[in-house]
Amino acid sequence: MTGFLVRRLLQAVVVIIGVIAIMFVLIHLIPGGEARSVLGPRAQPIAIAQFNRANGLNLPLWDQFARYIWNVAHFNLGRSVTQNQTVIALIGQALPKTLVLVGLATLLAIIIAIPLGVYQVVRRNKPEDYILTGFTFVLYAMPAFLLGTLLILWFAIYLPIFSTEASQADTVLGILSDPRAMVLPVVTLAAISIASFSRYMRSSMMETMTEDFIRTARAKGAAPRRVLFVHGLRNAIIPIITLVGLSLGTIVSGAVITESVFNYPGMGLLAVNSAFRDDIPTLLGVTFVVTIATILGNLMADILYAVVDPRIRYAKS
Amino acid sequence: MGLQGKRSFRPSEPLSDTLPKKGRAMRIVRTLGVAGVTFTTMALMLVSTGGTTAGASSIPTGGTKVAGGTVRWAEPPSTPPTYIFPFMSPQESSVSNISQFQYMMYRPLYMFGSPQKNSPTLNPTLSLASLPQYASGDTGATIGLKTYKWSDGETVTANDVLFFMNMLHSESANWFDYVPGYFPDNVKSVTVNSPSSLTFDFTKSVDPTWMTYNEFGQITPFPAAWDVTAAGAAAGSGGCSTGAYGAASTDAACAKVWTYLTGLASDLTSYATNPTWGIVDGPYTIAASKGGSFSPSGQVLLVPNTSYSGPQKATVKVQELPFTTDDAEFNALVGGALDDGYLPQQDVTSAASNATSGGKNNPRLSKFYLTPWILFGFNYAVPKFESTGDGGNAGAILKQAYFRQAMQSMVDQPTMISKFLKGYGVPTYGPVPVLPQNDFVDKFEQSNPFPYNPSHAKSLLTSHGWKVTPNGTDTCQKAGSAKGDCGAGIPKGAQANFTMAYASGTAWQKQVVQVEQSAWDSIGIKTALVANTFHTVVSTYAPPCASGTPCTEELGWWGGGWEYSPDYYPSGETLFSTDAGSNASNYTNGNADSLITATTDTNVSLSKYEDYLSKQLPVLWEPNADYEISEIANNLRGVAPQNPFANLFPEYWYFVKS
Repeated sequence: MTGFLVRRLLQAVVVIIGVIAIMFVLIHLIPGGEARSVLGPRAQPIAIAQFNRANGLNLPLWDQFARYIWNVAHFNLGRSVTQNQTVIALIGQALPKTLVLVGLATLLAIIIAIPLGVYQVVRRNKPEDYILTGFTFVLYAMPAFLLGTLLILWFAIYLPIFSTEASQADTVLGILSDPRAMVLPVVTLAAISIASFSRYMRSSMMETMTEDFIRTARAKGAAPRRVLFVHGLRNAIIPIITLVGLSLGTIVSGAVITESVFNYPGMGLLAVNSAFRDDIPTLLGVTFVVTIATILGNLMADILYAVVDPRIRYAKS
Repeated sequence: MGLQGKRSFRPSEPLSDTLPKKGRAMRIVRTLGVAGVTFTTMALMLVSTGGTTAGASSIPTGGTKVAGGTVRWAEPPSTPPTYIFPFMSPQESSVSNISQFQYMMYRPLYMFGSPQKNSPTLNPTLSLASLPQYASGDTGATIGLKTYKWSDGETVTANDVLFFMNMLHSESANWFDYVPGYFPDNVKSVTVNSPSSLTFDFTKSVDPTWMTYNEFGQITPFPAAWDVTAAGAAAGSGGCSTGAYGAASTDAACAKVWTYLTGLASDLTSYATNPTWGIVDGPYTIAASKGGSFSPSGQVLLVPNTSYSGPQKATVKVQELPFTTDDAEFNALVGGALDDGYLPQQDVTSAASNATSGGKNNPRLSKFYLTPWILFGFNYAVPKFESTGDGGNAGAILKQAYFRQAMQSMVDQPTMISKFLKGYGVPTYGPVPVLPQNDFVDKFEQSNPFPYNPSHAKSLLTSHGWKVTPNGTDTCQKAGSAKGDCGAGIPKGAQANFTMAYASGTAWQKQVVQVEQSAWDSIGIKTALVANTFHTVVSTYAPPCASGTPCTEELGWWGGGWEYSPDYYPSGETLFSTDAGSNASNYTNGNADSLITATTDTNVSLSKYEDYLSKQLPVLWEPNADYEISEIANNLRGVAPQNPFANLFPEYWYFVKS
């Protein structure tokens, strides 16, 4: 396992540098200069020259890239060119918000989707299964902005139970201390994930329940509940672990639509606004953090495979 | 300053784009063909008369005043204030930072616009100084300061003005409004006569109005306590507020002070707690010691500065609230979480019956009244005269005034405003805004020199050697630069075929360019539309083409337009004079240059300049959306009409009993 981890970590470093390199080149291929884009149509040549000097944009691209990698290695992601803050400070404001929102939504989705998927298998091809399948399809097909807006309309305006916007606190504790404000955004985001996770769970569980070892367990007289949850669920859950592992990148990159609708400026909006404003340092910084999260998510999923399924032994492979 | 802080029509707003179907655009074009003249006439009548019409919202008056309270004010989407030091580079210059944040704490020497008026003129009452007294053939001016106090008890003195001027001289490259050759290059000396008087000597004679509006309008006095290079240092120890203007030693001292202050300004978390920023001469402060606050995420609490020396002391607090999008802001508005916000264009339910007073409000906002907020600016698309596109033909064709006039004659602005902006917009007929009502614009420009007129457009082309092929592509038949020829540099057989880039993400802008494309196509001028982000269009079309370098751009419209602030006088020296830094089209015309110089150097009216430029079309005039459609609580008084330079005057705001 140790050798596996070391190999994966070394691969991760290569992947991170590769992703930054690709992003760096792609961003610099955008037509027009960053200076004019940031400074606007009034900017005089002298201001543009000053901006380029101050941000190292007058240097060759390879030199800019080398300096960026060097700075990143020293935990310096640079300074936003539009928001007068360091990129780390901006990510520090946005990331906790996103982790709370998407983390809670993912957790809620898992808690609801797994039993839902199992229940649908137990009641497969029965009215309950059809109803739940239809309901999850509706949720899955519903855009987040529509669901979010409808929830606001029903539960914040017509029935003023919750607030129209998510918590406006800047810290995790502050956000969690206002749970009423987080209900609608978490439900909006979870609803779509529930639909997806439960469909995966249902199909995986159905496949598992036809396996030979399930038949053997039943033949040996194991109770139906034990067959379902101990033999079936443990094997069927592996695809869900993959999904959740891969979703770590999504958790960090945020849910831009939900963040927009509920006035909750997290990582998704930070990335989108940076892209639209040609705020290259921020865009690169967000990409860097999301890349790390995606790699970590994959790594965690690989490790969890081994925990859940003893047949998988990475050290031997 | 640019319009990056526009509240309801954010150029880069991708989530609110309600893209029109092409079929709809075509239907609209056909409708325009039939009803164009009628609409034009009707809309023009509305725009020019400015009278009230049934259905328009009215501004509530009266009521029993309630002492105190907090006004919850919506910031533009994703544009919170991020810079406090009122000496910033273009990077930090925005409506959110200057007009709606800094000016409430640090008052400029001359304030423009008035509370509850949309007149774009100097406001002597709210200015820190009396009007400049020009002398010596307008080669110098003396400014007398009124008795204003900083919140630390010090008086606002002539040295505080000199402090700004010395900083500007030292760090002009870091001043957002610096244009080489103008302020402060045109200032020979600044002499402090007394604590309340100082004299400026210029390098040449100037037009007093231009000088006061465009140059002195940039000045914001700094307190002596800012003239330091380290925390705790004695006020004035930096040497920038007392040194001789223009001296190398003063420049060096100011550079150190600038470095220190910009360093402080880069720490947003300390804005409310750093005593430096707590020294204000405006009606408000964010100092935590006075109950104010500032969060880097954009939540700002401005509290009254009890020692403000101006004519009106503030009574209400102002809570500036950040929003991710205008949809989120609208939800907050409907939910009653705001007192002063804005109606997103997509939520307008009833067309404006009048440009200045708007129309019926959205029925979900019964607790608010609606009022359009029009800024003193204009909108334009850029034809690149030095374009090397199509083998250089594109630039050569766009360089021809008659050709631009033909194109402009196909742009039916009043109808576009009526249809795509539901009346919440202002047409652009020249370099001087026709609205808000002002004394700078003349009758000729207001009359719309190029009304929608396809036959006039066609005749302009045919009379200059073009074979017009409606819905085909026009070709030049008579090469040459004599009268009746296509024009210099246009070979026989050259085709009227262009690429037009526009900023995506704003529904009305897309609709406008699609209608323009169809209208031009109807007289054989082909345009291929290319959508790009606002910032990409700005970065590719705003820079003038450099001599000797390929310049493939042809036509571009980023949609943000131009606002006259802090160059409050609508003269064109930075926009349309030869080689000006913001002359995006590379327009060059000796007569225009002379007229522009006359407006800056001599005391003449703008009429000749604006009439000439209106006809010359150095750019294509485009419709300009209102800055915002404001929604103000029915029990909040003193807000509207609003300032045409986007400034806020909350010291005049108050609540009344509901």
